Amino acid sequence: MSALLEFKEKLKVIYGRYDTYIISILKFLLTFLALNVINGNLGYMKQLDNLAIVLIVSLLCSFLPNGCIIFFAALFSLLHMYELSMEVALVGLCLYLVMALLYFRFSPKDSIVVLLTPLLCAANIPYVMPVAMGLLGTPASAVSVGCGIVVYNYLSNVAANAQVISAMEAEEAVAKLKLVLDALIHNNGMIVMIAAFAVTIIVVYLIRRLSVAYAWTIAIITGCIVDLLVLLVGDLKFDTKLSLVGAVLGTILAAAVAKVIEFFRFCVDYNRAEKVQFEDDEYYYYVKAIPKMTVAAQSKTVKKINMQRKSVTINSSVMDEERLEDIMEDVLEEDMEPEEYSEGQPYAEDEMYPEDQEEYADGQEYAEEDNYTEETYTEDEPYAENERGRSRKGRK
Amino acid sequence: MLNEERVILMTKMEVYEENEGKRNVQIGNYFRGDYISLHILRSVISGTIAFGILFALYLFYDFEVFMENIYEIDLMDFVRRVLIAYGGMIVIYGLISYMVYSYRYSKAKKSLKKYYANLKKLNSLYNNEQQ
Repeated sequence: MSALLEFKEKLKVIYGRYDTYIISILKFLLTFLALNVINGNLGYMKQLDNLAIVLIVSLLCSFLPNGCIIFFAALFSLLHMYELSMEVALVGLCLYLVMALLYFRFSPKDSIVVLLTPLLCAANIPYVMPVAMGLLGTPASAVSVGCGIVVYNYLSNVAANAQVISAMEAEEAVAKLKLVLDALIHNNGMIVMIAAFAVTIIVVYLIRRLSVAYAWTIAIITGCIVDLLVLLVGDLKFDTKLSLVGAVLGTILAAAVAKVIEFFRFCVDYNRAEKVQFEDDEYYYYVKAIPKMTVAAQSKTVKKINMQRKSVTINSSVMDEERLEDIMEDVLEEDMEPEEYSEGQPYAEDEMYPEDQEEYADGQEYAEEDNYTEETYTEDEPYAENERGRSRKGRK
Repeated sequence: MLNEERVILMTKMEVYEENEGKRNVQIGNYFRGDYISLHILRSVISGTIAFGILFALYLFYDFEVFMENIYEIDLMDFVRRVLIAYGGMIVIYGLISYMVYSYRYSKAKKSLKKYYANLKKLNSLYNNEQQ
């Protein structure tokens, strides 16, 4: 575990220092992936299904705001649909517009979820989304995830009915419209999934905010179970043809991903290097503020320790070897019973390492301790070792 | 001469202004009533456009049936139902907007208090320097 924590700290440092590049690379990868999935599944407009165009747009999106990724993904899907049929593209445009007008004007940051949900649906692991959003978002994320599911279902319906649509005559505009809308409206599987994910997000959100130990873990497990239950009940009620094995495996994967999110949850956003420019009457300031990396004190497990110690002031000018031996014997005889220190139990640093204050000179204060039976130091190990070694050496 | 404390304070304020402060400072320029009513107005406009789109989709979806029955149906009743649906949607959407934006306003005001306190502190630092 300590290795993982160290890895996390290192990651924080790297993220804090190179966050600009890391975010750009992530944006590039997300755009590249999204556009490739759209081209792979819809791909009716051959001009767009071109690696060079995808790369150029991905590079562009890597330094543009997040909204541009959504914009280009929507544009690509609409153009592909337009190539197939204008009516289908029109319905798609209406869907996107209604979502943007009614919901995403409130929370533009959430719009990335509308892109991620269809991507995960396409990869057959949509179950990750509700648990992740319950952990990271708010109950309002249920709307974003719902919108994402609607988009995925619409696009997959278009892809599934592409041959029928392209075989229809141009005059059958209403029939085309009806076909794609029917497939969307009468899709019980989609409605059950939206309901299950919404319930999961709310449950995970409510539990993870409780002030109980392991709230996040409880939230993840409960969320996964609730998700599966609602999906199963929906399947029994509406016959949604849910793949049970797929749902169970997907939910297990969701739990694993959620644990990873839990581990890294405070890694991002808290340690950003900031470059700011400002001026006053006398100067222009170009400041790069790098956050201080305070290494979190890792847990020290001290299983058994003898806390008996006695401070004796020795005046070496009158001390002879015999006197010192007497004192040492006195100290050793007064050992007390060992005490248990549980993990994380607070203790004073000077109690732990009384040798810090030792000086072997005139008028020194000499602290004695004995019987170290078993100790585990995770962080200050070298220091502690040296100090102990020195103290024992000193005693001899 | 550079005053270290002042530069640190200015940097912190600039970082705030560039991140979460950007929106908060904008919100802080409005009175509460103005801010909320402006956004409710925007919501009503967005809601109207969205309703128009949904209504158009509905009409096209049932276009043939609608055209066949256009002389048989009670148009006034149809319009009344459409208006009720529109009104209901706008009222609900407006209420949600009111709640969201009044929450955002109070949150932004709280956040700005600290920012304004820093501004005062910065001002006093300048004054001290000049003296």
